Amino acid sequence: MSAPATPPPALQELKDNLRAAPRRIFETAFRSGKPTTDRTRSTFIFSNVFLHLHSVRVHRWTLRWSTSMGLGIATTAAFLLTLITGILLMFYYKPYPEAAYQSIKDIHFVVPTGRFIRNIHRWAANVMVVTVILHMARTFYTASYRRPREFNWLIGMGLLAVTLGLSFTGYLLPWDQLAYWAITIGANIAQSPREVTDAVGITGWFDPGGMQKFLLLGSDSVGPEALIRFYLLHVMILPLALMALMSVHFWRIRKDGGLARPADADQRLGNPPGPVYPVFTEAPMKTYSLAAIVRGRTPAVGKGPENTVPSMPHLFYAELGVFMLTTLVCLALALISDAPLKELANPSVPENPAKAPWYFLGLQELVSFSAFVGGIGIPLLVLAGLGLIPYLDREETGTGEWFGGPGGRYVVRQALLVGFGASLAIEAFAIRFGWIREWYLAVPQLVVTILNPGTILAAVYGLYSVWLVKRYRSTRAGALGLFTCFLCGFLVLTAIGTYFRGPNWVFYWSPGDWPRH
Amino acid sequence: MEKNKYLLLASSLGALLLLIVAAQDSFRKPWRQIQSSGRGDEGPIPVQLRQITNANLRVGDRCVSCHVSMAPGEQSVAGAAIFTAHKPVVHDPAEYGCTVCHGGQGSATEEADAHGAVHFWPEPMIPVRFAEAGCGTCHAALQVPNREIFQRARLTFERLDCAACHRVDGRGGTIRPGGGGMEGPNLSRAGIAGYDKGWYEKHVTKAAKEQSGPWKTSFGTIDGADLESVALYLSTRVAAPALIEAKATFHSFGCLGCHRVSGAGGDEGPDLSRAGEKDPGQADFTHVAEGNGLDRWIAEHFRSPVAVVATSQMPPVAASQREIDLLTLYVLSLRRRELPGAYVPRDRMQATRFGQREFASDGATLFGAFCAGCHGPEGKGKHAVGGTTFPAIANPDFLGLVGDRFLKETIRQGRPGRRMPGWAKEGGLREEEIDRIVAHLRELGGTEGPAEDKWTVSSKPESGRDVYAANCSGCHGAKGEGGKGPALSNRVFLEIASDKYLLETVSRGRRGTAMAGFQEPSPTRRALARSEMESAVAYIRAWQGGKK
Amino acid sequence: MTVMPGTPQSRLDPEPMPRRDLLGLASLWSAASALLFALLGAMRLPNAAIVAAPSKSFGVTLPESLPAGEAFVPPNRAVAIFRDSEGVYAVSTICTHLGCVVKPNAEGFECPCHGSRFKPDGAVAKGPAPLPLQWLKVKATNGGFQVDEGKTVPAGTRVKA
Repeated sequence: MSAPATPPPALQELKDNLRAAPRRIFETAFRSGKPTTDRTRSTFIFSNVFLHLHSVRVHRWTLRWSTSMGLGIATTAAFLLTLITGILLMFYYKPYPEAAYQSIKDIHFVVPTGRFIRNIHRWAANVMVVTVILHMARTFYTASYRRPREFNWLIGMGLLAVTLGLSFTGYLLPWDQLAYWAITIGANIAQSPREVTDAVGITGWFDPGGMQKFLLLGSDSVGPEALIRFYLLHVMILPLALMALMSVHFWRIRKDGGLARPADADQRLGNPPGPVYPVFTEAPMKTYSLAAIVRGRTPAVGKGPENTVPSMPHLFYAELGVFMLTTLVCLALALISDAPLKELANPSVPENPAKAPWYFLGLQELVSFSAFVGGIGIPLLVLAGLGLIPYLDREETGTGEWFGGPGGRYVVRQALLVGFGASLAIEAFAIRFGWIREWYLAVPQLVVTILNPGTILAAVYGLYSVWLVKRYRSTRAGALGLFTCFLCGFLVLTAIGTYFRGPNWVFYWSPGDWPRH
Repeated sequence: MEKNKYLLLASSLGALLLLIVAAQDSFRKPWRQIQSSGRGDEGPIPVQLRQITNANLRVGDRCVSCHVSMAPGEQSVAGAAIFTAHKPVVHDPAEYGCTVCHGGQGSATEEADAHGAVHFWPEPMIPVRFAEAGCGTCHAALQVPNREIFQRARLTFERLDCAACHRVDGRGGTIRPGGGGMEGPNLSRAGIAGYDKGWYEKHVTKAAKEQSGPWKTSFGTIDGADLESVALYLSTRVAAPALIEAKATFHSFGCLGCHRVSGAGGDEGPDLSRAGEKDPGQADFTHVAEGNGLDRWIAEHFRSPVAVVATSQMPPVAASQREIDLLTLYVLSLRRRELPGAYVPRDRMQATRFGQREFASDGATLFGAFCAGCHGPEGKGKHAVGGTTFPAIANPDFLGLVGDRFLKETIRQGRPGRRMPGWAKEGGLREEEIDRIVAHLRELGGTEGPAEDKWTVSSKPESGRDVYAANCSGCHGAKGEGGKGPALSNRVFLEIASDKYLLETVSRGRRGTAMAGFQEPSPTRRALARSEMESAVAYIRAWQGGKK
Repeated sequence: MTVMPGTPQSRLDPEPMPRRDLLGLASLWSAASALLFALLGAMRLPNAAIVAAPSKSFGVTLPESLPAGEAFVPPNRAVAIFRDSEGVYAVSTICTHLGCVVKPNAEGFECPCHGSRFKPDGAVAKGPAPLPLQWLKVKATNGGFQVDEGKTVPAGTRVKA
């Protein structure tokens, strides 16, 4: 028998299939084919689970740098950096008191790239806090929280809270003096409702403060239980919560029609430069309203050329650009400055001064007058105030514009004066003359809780914004004033807490004046 | 739209650049450069992180990443000065690691961090000139005498020229002509390893047998006192000569009178058992002239305690620079580390389990270690301006009046309310030690005590009221509560002091103190009659209450 | 849409949804209550029933020479013990503001965290501490004292040796 000239058909088929397998794998993965035309790019986006968070086309207004300044993407980028570096750090980190400290020492000194990765983690976390606050300010000042984005503003506040929580829980993990005493203070702030329940005399049977602290620490004081709890919160519970909220946040941006823009955005932009290729022609392939998924009409039927561009590649270049810029900033900071690691935690000698992370130092400044007001009262008030903004301001002028709304820039400038002026004045007074307890020792605690620099500052800001509402007959004007004021107060208090408070929380003009230890 | 592309391009290139810089950085670690200059037996040594680990001691020291020749099995690396091998010690650094003895940060791999010079590292390296302080981490040298006795022993050893044949602490010794090592055995560790107790007899026999050579020419007879000194000197040879001298110095300034060390000593001042590991970050360096090392702080503190710690009640230690250095070395040696049972050295075990003392048990050392701080090295008392007066207890007049029982009871029970604490307590002195201190006092004063005297006054206490008010209350207080003079109403004092003692003190006074004898007149007052003195004693005695 | 009996139904009409669907409601509510109960049970877990903390009650021997008004702080305890002519008392050194450990000094206590100051008897001398330092229960024992950090007593309570 001679060998067959050609292989049997089945074998030939197998060979062909094998040869075609790589191509087929690619084709089945990206069913839309190569994204070369607008149409294939569109299909590429909405058939990809990760990319379809983006709309297929994006308005040119969205791509202007001044619209969003990329702050949301920068926050996401910082989060991704902390996520990756955090997972890497978990290879070596041991969440048990002394072992924790030693493992951070190991990461610092001998783990290959360990110091750099830890620095990136620390700086990306800080960058994330900064950008999330700036992102919120941008959303506020462009009035982008208005219909239909009200609830997304609330989700954004949730994200802010979780971000701060992540930062705070991460603070304990190195188990050094800084960590130990910042968390001791933090846990006691959680317990500070006792300040009120004690004053009223009901702590015996109603003690929400004590319960909060106990749940947080799993014990009476910061110890191994607290460390494992903070670890669990830091690497599991809070990241999961953050990712869940983020998904909803992003999804809603898409559902709400992308970023807010002024009603007359198209006119302002004028005609797009160069040739325009409308995707939706007189005879669209399909309309959304037919699919009954989206409210409203088809975006473009009959409108002719419009001011959108394909997300791919225009939006992606912007997003990737911001992502890499954030990375660049974090890398640079990580190279310049090492994350701090003080001596091993010592429960019998408090760090002096014991300072929380910088973004909590504003609160710590308030806490130094009254634990409850600074730690729980004012933050809750601010959160409630922020959360109500989109439901109180139901006006329409100025949406999508910087400092839009009645009064606009003028109100903001005035509010800057009031905000800085009031906070500096009351701080200067309290630093120079002390507070009630220094004048009348016997004053009941409830009086101090109700009357202290924090509450007075909040009241001044509140009254000012009510006056603005009356003066401009506009809630938006009041909101602009109040938000600006609180931002100023936050900045002033944070700066004082960070730079001007020394041992025993005494005011010093510079750390050089601190008693030498 | 183009500008987003430029943004992406610029920031990506920037990030890439920074990553390259970071990668470069990790290849430029100092230890890499140091190791790449090292040459071992077979050429260049592999460049890698090295460490000594000992799970039992909880040691993981990367010091050997730079000090390579101290790593296990790499003793012969040549090159830079940093490759100098460790000088021979009992403890192999390759087993014990570095930080157990030297302190510092073992996990670090950069000089400043490793040596602990950085902020936030609570256990910086012990300065090399105080290196022997590291021994104190585990060891407790036992039975160390006070400085005077120690010096005498050392001088004896030198006078007898034992170092002609024996090597001690890196000095002396002769190499035997024609090979065969040293003439005499090395005695540097005689205190640990032990030595032949019958050495003297053997030396004498050998010297008698030999007809020539060093045995005939160098060895002579030694008298009993010198033999004792030599034995004492040998018992303190534990390969840490400076530490022993430091400890002897510490036992001469009466520090234990106020401070506790390893469970023995007074409670007036802070417990010093772990004073050597005080975190310099917690110490106030405001008034320390230079440097921020713990040794600087301690030394300055010895010079002027109040200047360094504002609330300190410790008197300045009037000592020379050398003595301050020694005291600093000793305080630095007061450190501890958790040790697994197998690693606890015999001396520490004997101290903690079997109650062996770290100070020698002779009267002079005990007096030096416990009493000299207040009563002075010779028992002449002390008076701080504006402060307490401490009685001159070696005063012959005083010792001539009091029996041993008085002295012992005073030491045992102290003077409640005064600075003198009772020493019959946990962490205080043992019965036989109190006996030896009393014997030492007798030696200092050169006076025997009187025989026990049961005589008591018969006067009525009321009759002495006026005498007391006129003559005694000025110094001793209207109710005997004490003032410039000691308190007389003190319960314990009255219990211990016999009437005879009180009467004799009143009548003869005490030389060298403000207490004048009342049997002689002075320019400001007349002499007292014996009956008047007796009535005063009765008046004083009445403060004791019911019991007589 | 309420289903009227006898109304003819077209296949193309939407499925009728009864307003009172006992079975559906019962199933939904029981699922909800079971899950709620499970949630409550799960919430119990982080609330530790007992904590592995050292005993709050400890014995202490005071040095004989402790001057009146000077604090004796036993190692690793946040307690300052005093002796004066009226007896012995213990003051907690945990700041009532935010839990830092206060330092005894000549004028009383000082907190390093936010600058609260207390008088020697624990009363507040400077804010922000809302309450005086707590006095702790002291019991005289054989030659020493038993201090209980967990039990507070009214300020001014002293114990004779």
